[in-house]
Parts: sequence; C-alpha cells; structure tokens
Amino acid sequence: MHHLKFLRGGLAVYTALFIAFLYGPFVVMGILSFQKGPEGGPQFPILEWSTYWYRHVLGFAPPSRVAPLPIGEALVRSLTLAFATMVVSTVLGTLTAQAFRERFRGSGLVFYLVVLGMIVPGVLLGLGMALLANNLGIDRNWWSTAFVLHVVYTYPFAFLVMLAIFNRFDRSVEEASWMLGVTPARTFRKVTFPMIFPGVLSAMLFAFTLSYDEFPRTLFTAGSDVTMPIAIYGTFAVEIHPNLFAFGVLTTLFSFALLSVYGILMALSVRRARMRATGIQEEIA
Amino acid sequence: MMEIGGLSKSYDGRPAIADLDLMVADDEYLTLLGPSGSGKSTLLRLIAGLERPDRGRILLNGEDITHKPAHLRGLGFVQQNYALFPHMTVAQNVGFGLANRLVDPVTDPAELGRRVDAMLDLVGLSGLGGRMVSQISGGQKQRVSLARTLVTEPRICLLDEPLGALDANLRERMTVELRRIRETLGVTFLHVTGNEAEALAMGDRMIVLDGGRAVQVAPPDEVFGRPATARVARFVNAYNLLEGETRDGAFVSGADRLPLPAGVHARAYAVRHDAVEIGDQAPEGWPAIEGRFVTAEFLGSRVLYFFQRRDGGIIEVERHLSQSDPLRFAQGEARVLHWDPAAAHLFGEDGRRVDAAQGGRA
Repeated sequence: MHHLKFLRGGLAVYTALFIAFLYGPFVVMGILSFQKGPEGGPQFPILEWSTYWYRHVLGFAPPSRVAPLPIGEALVRSLTLAFATMVVSTVLGTLTAQAFRERFRGSGLVFYLVVLGMIVPGVLLGLGMALLANNLGIDRNWWSTAFVLHVVYTYPFAFLVMLAIFNRFDRSVEEASWMLGVTPARTFRKVTFPMIFPGVLSAMLFAFTLSYDEFPRTLFTAGSDVTMPIAIYGTFAVEIHPNLFAFGVLTTLFSFALLSVYGILMALSVRRARMRATGIQEEIA
Repeated sequence: MMEIGGLSKSYDGRPAIADLDLMVADDEYLTLLGPSGSGKSTLLRLIAGLERPDRGRILLNGEDITHKPAHLRGLGFVQQNYALFPHMTVAQNVGFGLANRLVDPVTDPAELGRRVDAMLDLVGLSGLGGRMVSQISGGQKQRVSLARTLVTEPRICLLDEPLGALDANLRERMTVELRRIRETLGVTFLHVTGNEAEALAMGDRMIVLDGGRAVQVAPPDEVFGRPATARVARFVNAYNLLEGETRDGAFVSGADRLPLPAGVHARAYAVRHDAVEIGDQAPEGWPAIEGRFVTAEFLGSRVLYFFQRRDGGIIEVERHLSQSDPLRFAQGEARVLHWDPAAAHLFGEDGRRVDAAQGGRA
C-alpha cells in the first residue's frame, strides 16, 4: 500500500509537469499578448494590460514604428495550400489503402515507397526538390513545387490512417451489396464510404494540419510568395513584438472554435441515435 | 434451373472444390450438407460470383454465367453473419437493392415503400422498418438479411449457414419460417449447413459434399436410409460405423466377426443406431457383437445406450420409448448386440456403397 501511495504521488507530479510543459508556452504567450503597446516588448513584466496588439494584428491600431504582420496573403496561401493538400492526400490515401485490401505483386515495395515520403528528412527533400526544379528550369511556387512536396509528406499519413480503417472493415457488407445487383462503384459510394467516413475525416484532419504548419519542405520550394509559417519565421529575423503572440492566441481560438463545432455535431448525432433507440424500447413495451 | 459442370477451385494447390457437377431445379429447397472444410462455403461463393473457379462452367437457365460479375448474376446471397448495412434502418436495408441495383432499379418511392413493407410483412418484421439494425435482435437481423435478398426476387437464393448463429429455440422457429417463405415466393433456396438435422429436415433434396465433391444428391430420406459412402453415413450421425476388412466371407473388425453376403468385399460396415437390438443371444445367422454397458442418454422420446466393444470402440443403440420401455443395465454388464443382416450397409475399398445384390467385388 505504501509503495502504491508513493507511486501515485510520483505519477501525479509527472503528469503535472507534463501538463505544465505542454501548456506553459501557450499561457506565457497568452499573457504577453496583452502587453502594453506599442512600447511594450515580448517580456515580463507587463507594463500595463491592453488589447493594443490585437488591434494591431487586425489592422485597427494607428500606424506606429512596429510594422504590421505580413500575414494576410500568407494566411490565405497557407489555408488554400492546406485545403488542396488535404483533398489530394485524402483521396490518394483512401484509394491506395483500398488497393492494399487485396494482396498484389510488389505490394510490400509499394508500401515502403509511399511511406518513404514521411520518413525522409524534410530539409533534404525540400533542398532536393529545389535543385531539381532549378535544373529542369521550373519556377518554384507555393502552388506547384511546394504543393507536390506537401502531398508527398501528408499522403503517407492519410494512407496509414485509411489502412487501419480498412483493416477493421467487414468486406462481407460490400459483397452483400454486390449480390443485390448494385455495381461496385455505387457500392463504394453508398455502403463503403459512409462506413469509413470517420476515418476519412481523421485522414483529412491529419493532412490539413500537417500541411498548414509545414516548414522545412516549404522553405526551399515555395519561391517568393511564402506561406504563413515562413512569413512568421521571417518576422523573427527582424524583431519580435507581442503582435505575434496576439496572432497566436487568435489562431488557437479559431482552432478551438472549429473543434467545438465538430464536437457539438458529434454529440448531436449521438443523441439522435440514442433517442431512436429509446423510441424502440417504448415500441417493445 | 442452374447447371454446374466440372467446377474446380483450389487454394495454394489444395483443392477446395474438385470437378463438381450439380443440377439445381426451379422452385425447390436444396440443402447442402458438409463438414467444415468440405468446400461448402467455397461452392456458394463460386456460384455467387465472389470467387473465380479454376475450371468448369455454371449455367443459369442456359446462360453461361461463369465469368459474369456478381452484381449481374441475379442471384441472392444470405450471409452467415447477416452483413447488414450498419448505417441504415431496417427498411433502408431491405430497400437498398431495389433502389440501387443496376438492372431495373425501383425509382418510385411509393412503389419502393410498398414492396419493402410487403416483404417486412412476409418475414414477420412489420412495424420495425424504422429501427437501426444495431437495435434489433439476432433473429430479427437474420430476417432483415433474408428480406433484403428476397425483395430483389433473385433467381436462386443462396443461404450460407443461415441458422448457425441462432439459439436452438429460434432455430426451430426459423426452420419452419424459411420453408413457408420459400413456398410463398416459389424461389429456389440453396441452403448450406454443417448440421445434419437441419439438412435432413429442410431440404426437398439434399447434397452431401465431401472433399470438394458432391458424393450424394438425393432426397433426405434416401441420404439417411441409404448413404452413398461410409463418410456420408458418418455425417448423418445415425450409424455405428465399423472399419475392418473382409476375410473368409466375413467382416473382421477388431475382435469381432460379422457375416457378409456371399461375394461381397467390404472395408466399412454401418448399422443404424435404431436397428441394433440388445439381448442375451443373437438369432441364428444374425450379426452380433458383444458389448459392455457404459451409459445411457435420455432424450425425451428416445434413449441412447452406449456399449463398449471388446476392442474399445463404442456402439450406440437407440430405442424409441413409444415402442418399448426404457431398459436398465448395470455398469459393465455384458450384452449381445445384434441386428437383422438386411440392416447392414456395406462400403468397399473406395468408401462407396457395395450391395449384396450387385455382388460387389471378389
């Protein structure tokens, strides 16, 4: 018993430390984003509480010596790139995983070729792509060379997620549909896809977030029109102001809002299913 | 009508179906009995088009469907695990094939609803159409699976151990239901099962599959009364099967010698449980074996007695209580088990039946 108590205490401390390190940076960033502006810097103490840096990010602050964050266009680019990457990688990943449901010649080799995309160090891949593009005389753009590398990087993740989903998928359900005279294509749309949809959603989330904050591959291949992570990195090189922190807090809140909507939708569908179930119990009684 | 000719399929060089021939008539209930590993599920999947045969042909009403994709064959397939669509209600499951099939889909919602309701009525699920399939019992799932298939009016309905997952009570009710539904619709059922009682009770005809071949195709009473091979006799689970050899005009198995008709050469000897009599002495010329009483099993309307032969094998004797009172024996009591020579079923070197009338082989 005594040992157990000790262990429990140890684990509690461990967990507390883990959470502190996990959320510590965010809390510090959150506090410093309310620093007085434009004089206040990104350090303690807080000179005076204010929302100046938020107004600065959103463009409501009067002009000052601190240049506005060059993120407007970069943000749009990043979101567009992440969305396109998400669509392409999820489709490719789902189709590839579908192919892997049957054993085919060379399937082992193909598996490693696909997975290679997430194993090779990003800096090397980015550099290699830049050299290749130069030698072939191809312009480097966020929507061309960088996009290809984003897909190469996120496609294996989507593929692995879908592979796990298909591993648990009962194929006799598809066979049942074929035996009812429904074509394989329509069966995929009406039976397979609705059943694997939660997995597709996870694959989409993976691909989107990985692409959205991708750095090393984009750095070398995006050309002159940069994405968000690179734009932010660029401002570090000059001077760091709390407007970065304000921006960080805003994006985090945006993510939380998205997750909340997702959570509410899930909860609603669960409740609908449960209501249907209780309705049935009444029928039986 | 479906004709299967020379159908073969092997996996990794091991034959699952070997050169199988079969005729399936219209409007009949055909049961297919086979032990596990006899290739019965493979046969069903080959007919359904879910597996490709290595050799052979399948003709449906004269049309060669051997290489037709599954969704164009117009056959129904009721899977062992039901394989219902989990994201749909009962009614959506039943209507799915009608609404989504390639050939002749039903697009009018009113017509679809009418046909789904009629089918739910037929299988005894009226009023349950709005439930999700995760919220109905196993027996109800079985009926949904059946209804979903039958509503598409398949030319032949294949059923893969449809009663396997049901408890005994429900199984008996479904046995009656299945026959009733089939007779109402006039569709041919090909029902695969590993349970000999189910195969005997339900089929108009019965196929016994062994080692990938149809070893006997006959009405159930004939399969039961005149098994074509020693292994069929074992599958129907109503025979004492003795193995041995023929020496000097008698069947020798262990320490026992049983008289044989002249000229018959047998390697296996079968006698039905209920043909064996228990006594002190056998009538002159009757086959007899000495056995020591082991135990009895009371089965309601009948009793099974177990006797041990001198060389250790077990002889089962069945007595119907409508015809005689139960007998009492002491543990280890020696009795003479004997039967009418005409009750003996003899099987030759290749396991096939040899009849005294044919003379067998010398």
